[in-house]
Amino acid sequence: MSEPASGLRILNLHAGYELGSPIVRGVSIEAKRGEIVAILGPNGAGKSTLVKAIAGTVPIESGEVRLDGEDFTTRPVHRMVAGGLALVPQTDNVFTTLSVADNLRIAAHGLSTAQRRARFTAIFELFPDLARQRGLAAGRLSGGQRQMLAVARALVVVPKALLLDEPSAGLSPKVVAELFAKLLEIRATGVCIVLVEQNVRAALTIADRLYVLVEGRNRLEGPSHDLLADPEIAALYLGGVRGSVRAAHP
Amino acid sequence: MSMQFVADGLVAGATIGLGAVGVTLTYSILRFANFAHGEFISWGCYLTLVIAGAIGAWVGPSIAPLGALSIGPNVLAAGLLAMALTGLLAIGLDALLFRRLRRHGSSITAVIASFGAALALRAALEAIFSSRPVYLSQDLQIAIRVGGLRITPDQLALLGVAVLLVGALQLLLSRSNAGRSMRAVSENPALARIVGIDVAAVIRLTWFIGGALACASGVMLGLVVQIRPTMGAELLLPLFAAAILGGIGSVPGALLGGLIVGLAEAAAVQAIGAEWRAAVAFMILIAVLLLRPAGLFGRTD
Repeated sequence: MSEPASGLRILNLHAGYELGSPIVRGVSIEAKRGEIVAILGPNGAGKSTLVKAIAGTVPIESGEVRLDGEDFTTRPVHRMVAGGLALVPQTDNVFTTLSVADNLRIAAHGLSTAQRRARFTAIFELFPDLARQRGLAAGRLSGGQRQMLAVARALVVVPKALLLDEPSAGLSPKVVAELFAKLLEIRATGVCIVLVEQNVRAALTIADRLYVLVEGRNRLEGPSHDLLADPEIAALYLGGVRGSVRAAHP
Repeated sequence: MSMQFVADGLVAGATIGLGAVGVTLTYSILRFANFAHGEFISWGCYLTLVIAGAIGAWVGPSIAPLGALSIGPNVLAAGLLAMALTGLLAIGLDALLFRRLRRHGSSITAVIASFGAALALRAALEAIFSSRPVYLSQDLQIAIRVGGLRITPDQLALLGVAVLLVGALQLLLSRSNAGRSMRAVSENPALARIVGIDVAAVIRLTWFIGGALACASGVMLGLVVQIRPTMGAELLLPLFAAAILGGIGSVPGALLGGLIVGLAEAAAVQAIGAEWRAAVAFMILIAVLLLRPAGLFGRTD
């Protein structure tokens, strides 16, 4: 590793819920600061397990997780955020009984009052809807607003890397477009964003680079436009994904 | 029917309520019914007794009672110190027993283990202090009349202390970072970790608060009844009735539930006889579970 280590770097990661039967079997990915990387692949490819393992919620068997050169592989989950690595889970990603403001405050421990105020101002500027609903219990937000809140909360302690597990799941195309517009704004601040997506079309609209996982391993990778330009790949990943990939790579 | 049961019921209810707060917190954050919670009440009371005795022996026998109360400043100081120690006892029990079970066992394992812990803690008290009853104060208090009810200054002070403690805890839960973290862990421990909450620290805090309030409950109980190693265990059923009536997870609910159970027990004692006291908590428990399982302030999710 002689090149400057900026951003998130995953090396030959093996991870899974049960020891000895990893779901992620030797995945390597890289996401530079200010880059959006999408992880695509059929159901059961290990995409979600991969981001959960990176964030520390699924045990890692071997391999390395590095963020800006620092080793995060064995860091306990609750210390990931402070180190700059934030995960937005796919479901149950807000505290429904807490208010919108408390959902944000809860991520702000370790910040001084002044720092927290500054962060909240910045966050409410990016998510004006949340500012209006700050007193409301998060359980009363719509699906799209909850997703926005979950992303906003991940931004409270300015992350170096933001991992999102299927952020578009269950959202209308209009809301997905809004959410992805926010991600582009976040990318512009130098955060590296790793996005797991089933919704390939949506992912392609914002990702700089793509990784395709199949059966827990890297299958394809490259800049989005290159992969899009390849008619075979575009056909594979914009159409029925699973069967075609297996057929193409026996 | 005379309304005198109101005074007795409120004092008993505050005692139950303080204990029920610990039960409700443990249940909502660790997801198991801790049947050893009654023992924290007994231990808290005995610790207070020992410390108060030690202070008495150190300062001399001439400790005057505080104002109209039957207890002196030594008991008050001992109670505060014992609250901290009982909190640490609860943390210690968790570290020794429940934390290990959380890694592997299910919540039913923890419940059964708490039965065992209760027996061990009670047996330890019996071994050290024997089953002979002892007293925090043997003063006879002259009751004062408040709106037609006879109530002793001790009882009034106890009510005030209970409301103050629960009010302070409610403020902590709703306004402080620690309180928000506790509510977050209670709702979704996995997400709590992801957002950077040290869940292990929140669990320790929960045990500490539960243990400390159980001790306060034990001191209140010890001022009203004889101090015996079984005093806390006998309060266990009313504790659970109160916690469930108030709605699991609700601190004000636990206090209100405690007051209702205490009043109902006192009313039953006055109306139909003391032998029915224990049955009342049982009936309330069953009625709540059948009619309104979420309790008065419980979440219905």
